[in-house]
Amino acid sequence: MEKPKHKLLSFAYFLESSKVYNKIKKFVYDLIENDEYKYKRYFDIFMIFVILSSVTLLVMDVKRHIPHWLDDFDLYFVTTVFVVEYLLRMWVYSDIHKIIIDEYEESSYFDKEVSYYSLFTNIVKNKWAYMVSFSAIIDLIAILPSYRGLRVLRVFVLFRAFKMLRYTKSLTGFLYVLKNKKFELMTLLTLSTFFIFIAGIMLYVFEGDNENPNIHNLFDAFYWALITISTVGYGDIAPVTPEGRIVTMLIIFTGIGLISFVTSIIVSSFNERLSVLREDRVVQEVGKKKKLTVVCGYGLLGRLVVKGLQKEGVEFIIIDRSEEMAAVAYNDGYHAICADATKGTIFEKLGIDDRISHVLCLTSDDIQNAFIAVNVKSLNSEVYVTARCSDQEIATKMEYAHVDQVIMPEEVAGMMGAVYAGEPVAFEVLLSIIEEKEKTHINEIAIAEGSFLDNKMIGEVDFERLRLILLGVFKRSEESKLGEFIFNPSDEFVLNAGDNLVCIGYSTAVANLKRKM
Amino acid sequence: MYRLLNCCGKSKKEDVMQIQKDIVLFGYGTFGRQLYKNLRSRGHKVKIVVGLDDYVEVESDSGVDITRINIKRNDDILALNVNAAESIFYCAMNKTANNLFLVLTLKSLYPQANVIANSNSNETTRKLKYAGATSVIDLYEATSRRIVNVLTKPAVSMALDEIVYKQNDLQMLEIELQENTFLEGKYVSEIKFRQMGIILIAIIDKELGYELVFTDHRINHKLDAGDILVIVAKKENISKFQEILKKG
Repeated sequence: MEKPKHKLLSFAYFLESSKVYNKIKKFVYDLIENDEYKYKRYFDIFMIFVILSSVTLLVMDVKRHIPHWLDDFDLYFVTTVFVVEYLLRMWVYSDIHKIIIDEYEESSYFDKEVSYYSLFTNIVKNKWAYMVSFSAIIDLIAILPSYRGLRVLRVFVLFRAFKMLRYTKSLTGFLYVLKNKKFELMTLLTLSTFFIFIAGIMLYVFEGDNENPNIHNLFDAFYWALITISTVGYGDIAPVTPEGRIVTMLIIFTGIGLISFVTSIIVSSFNERLSVLREDRVVQEVGKKKKLTVVCGYGLLGRLVVKGLQKEGVEFIIIDRSEEMAAVAYNDGYHAICADATKGTIFEKLGIDDRISHVLCLTSDDIQNAFIAVNVKSLNSEVYVTARCSDQEIATKMEYAHVDQVIMPEEVAGMMGAVYAGEPVAFEVLLSIIEEKEKTHINEIAIAEGSFLDNKMIGEVDFERLRLILLGVFKRSEESKLGEFIFNPSDEFVLNAGDNLVCIGYSTAVANLKRKM
Repeated sequence: MYRLLNCCGKSKKEDVMQIQKDIVLFGYGTFGRQLYKNLRSRGHKVKIVVGLDDYVEVESDSGVDITRINIKRNDDILALNVNAAESIFYCAMNKTANNLFLVLTLKSLYPQANVIANSNSNETTRKLKYAGATSVIDLYEATSRRIVNVLTKPAVSMALDEIVYKQNDLQMLEIELQENTFLEGKYVSEIKFRQMGIILIAIIDKELGYELVFTDHRINHKLDAGDILVIVAKKENISKFQEILKKG
């Protein structure tokens, strides 16, 4: 009795530790379940093709018999694909080996024998939870038409069309809307069922007794009530007695009310959902970018920063708490969403773990900025966070929270203003360089490995010919990425790959040097 | 275009290049306080003026001297008794409307006055410039540049920190060439500025109508008395350079 147990456990541990097994499982999961995975699209397209071909065959089969090989294709290929897909989904839904390990660990903890019965039921319960989920049921029903014995099962091919919902995102969006308003819609459904029931019975009582030749039974009366209440009104069954007509008039009024009620619920639900759908689209659009900067707050400073980022070709997304500001940013042609940046949700959606490289907290409220900064840092401390602040005390607290850069607009501007008092000309030069108002800019050039500047002495480089003024060099060092700033290095200073030159010059001169690299 | 303020006249020995100015600072909000701090650290004399009912936060021991006036009245401003030709006015009130009004008032009282105003957007800058402000400091422009630079050009942003923002040995300043210095009549390329530990960034040429010329070597400029050199250098090298200039 001891041996098989151990075998089962060691097999479970083997699966748990097997790299290949986990890799394959992860790949299958990504392929069929993970919307973010780039190859899932191809899987979706393939499945839609299989479904459409099977539905086409069903329709073609109505008038004339399809060739034998096509029938085989439907019977064997399509069915196999569906069955395999069903099993794969069930497989990736959960890990059986984990259940086994848990069970063994628990029993060893309590010094008990492992009960095969509870182990088995746990596994079945776990998979059963998948099997009774809505989409799994549809999947299963979609396989049924392959059984040719019962012709009525053929209609279930249409469930294959239902399966398509899985592979298209916009349709799921629609279903979500309906799900969202489940309560209202259910109330209405109950109400209309009630009316149909009452009206049908009343008409049957008044006219079922041979008064109306078209009403043979209660089913006819209910059918008539539904056609009338939905304002479709075929007219194949019409009331003939005055009593029947009064019933008709009453349910027509209720019908109009019900229909407009349903319409308004769905429309309003769509409106609510619209911003979410748009947000999803924006998130999806920026989702393809590897390095993303998140700008929180689209105020005066936010706008200027965004303009600068756009010019430098940085990929960014704007988040603003106010719907209005987000709309302004969106209309300015940027990726923008209205969201609360003090919450983790939005950053998780945007990929805080791997995609976001910088977060800029630029709202006009210091406390809000501190809040956002702490939120981001607590999610992923690797992300570079810049926070705006007007208060020295809050700035200290932000630094305590390891905000990478705390910037105080008043301080920067105050310093600039003070420069003006002593050096008005220098100030204008500075302004023109910093604000890039003229064509002469300050720029940096990284020395590439093996380029003509690698291992050269400063004295050997003709910066005059390059039309650049060399301000200084950041010598690459082990500790920090940039290293120390060496102002005006001497002629004997040796440049190496990885060093950064800081130069002033025409943008074309800089571009020229970068090209030479 | 660049009104020059007798920059390099008499200079003290220990602090070679900094000249004390009389400054009138209107407004003492967050920006005003930062401005005050920086002006004081550079040795300027600052008089703070605020509106009658402006809330002012002052530490009791800071020794900040604040005058309260009704900024809407010309008499009150005239009563400040400022030598307008020698002073610089900073309009750093919290409200844009007040700054704009102040610029108008000052310019109408003292047409030659040197008025600097702070602004928070291009739109405000345009209005302030129209009202006659000599120069406008955009509260956010430099900040936004800095934020973007940290992302895209980290080396540039750190270099600017060293040169402009940090209080250290490195300084950016301007030097007006006097008569009979050794530089007069020489071409820029003839002078080994770099060997003197000085980087010459730009020149304001009197002959060219005070035009700003960056010295990224496109034009070999001839230096004359009255030209203004904008340089970046360590303090010791600046002192040495000025000594040489004085010797002629």
